[in-house]
Amino acid sequence: MANIAVQRIKREFKEVVKSDEAAKSMIHLDMGSSENMMELTGTISGPPDTPYAGGTYILDIRIPETYPFNPPKVKFNTKIWHPNISSATGAICLDILKDQWAAAMTLRTVLLSLQALLASPEPDDPQDAVVAKQFKENPDIFFQTATHWTQAYAKGSTPVPEYSDKVTQLMGMGFEEHKARVALSNNNWNVECATENLLS
Amino acid sequence: MSSDTPTSPGPTEGATGGSEVSTDGNAFFECNICLDTARDAVVSMCGHLFCWPCLHQWLETRPNRQTCPVCKAGISKDKCIPIYGRGASDQQDPREKLPPRPQGQRSEPENNGGFPGFGFGDGGFQMSFGIGAFPFGIFASTFNFNDGRPGPAQPGTPQHSEEQFLSKVFLWVAILFMFWLLIA
Ligand SMILES: [Zn+2]
Ligand SMILES: [Zn+2]
Repeated sequence: MANIAVQRIKREFKEVVKSDEAAKSMIHLDMGSSENMMELTGTISGPPDTPYAGGTYILDIRIPETYPFNPPKVKFNTKIWHPNISSATGAICLDILKDQWAAAMTLRTVLLSLQALLASPEPDDPQDAVVAKQFKENPDIFFQTATHWTQAYAKGSTPVPEYSDKVTQLMGMGFEEHKARVALSNNNWNVECATENLLS
Repeated sequence: MSSDTPTSPGPTEGATGGSEVSTDGNAFFECNICLDTARDAVVSMCGHLFCWPCLHQWLETRPNRQTCPVCKAGISKDKCIPIYGRGASDQQDPREKLPPRPQGQRSEPENNGGFPGFGFGDGGFQMSFGIGAFPFGIFASTFNFNDGRPGPAQPGTPQHSEEQFLSKVFLWVAILFMFWLLIA
């Protein structure tokens, strides 16, 4: 591991720990179990006035050998319903994690950028096409779905009883909970379409 | 050559100790890439400080899109200014190190501040002052518009012979032009 990467991660770790945002528990950074510090765990809280409010999102952060000349590899470990984040894999579509990365950016700015992404999705540059379509065409359903996922996966506290009932309904038919939720979310919570989808 | 000056990086093992936490005064001179005190320091035209080795590696990583790592302004080796402090502990000429740090450039005093948009921006506008292979400064600065190449090429490279050829062409064009003026 290049020395500069290790040095920087050590400094950045302190920067995050000392930051105002950490004091307000908006962002958090954990050393991974690995000794070389190249695998870290980040945490961001869902921004207020969004469907992610009250949620806590865990991020897997991998530092490449060539850091900081190339960006860290980040993905959501916590499942989330968002146009720029894959609902299946947690992969993120964000320019600063790709070609807009700059060597002066830090893990703190990355975490804050991801938090900003939760507050302002960019459906025209989607990672998850189904979510992006719903975001544009059925904004109300999108908001409810994202809120429901926050409660189901990110310890959110805002329930969406209608959606929970539908998930329970499909579970009663023998489908696994997460698969049922994905099928319903993908089909704008139409139970028939979701069931067909699950059986196909 | 004393190795225990305050500016030396110092031991790195005890990272959790307080020794590395920079005081506010030192943070001002930290490299924007490695976040350590800048060594072989250079400053970009947008005013951002880096170690030359760090900035060099950044420019090498993105040869096609060279932007400041802090503010994303256009940046290049030729537009960086080396900083020489007084009484630095390291007496070796930094230009002899690899990668070589860009040399300081001295421009004539009357040129100070006279050029709007000097050296900045996306257009790649480049002042050449007629140095190097071009005998006619006016041609040089005119034809360097939107030309991304960093100044006169090193002798022996293909660019060099190309520029030599071009300069000869310009020379003949100019001679013909003056000849025509005399006749007309
Ligand atoms: Zn540096
Ligand atoms: Zn800059």
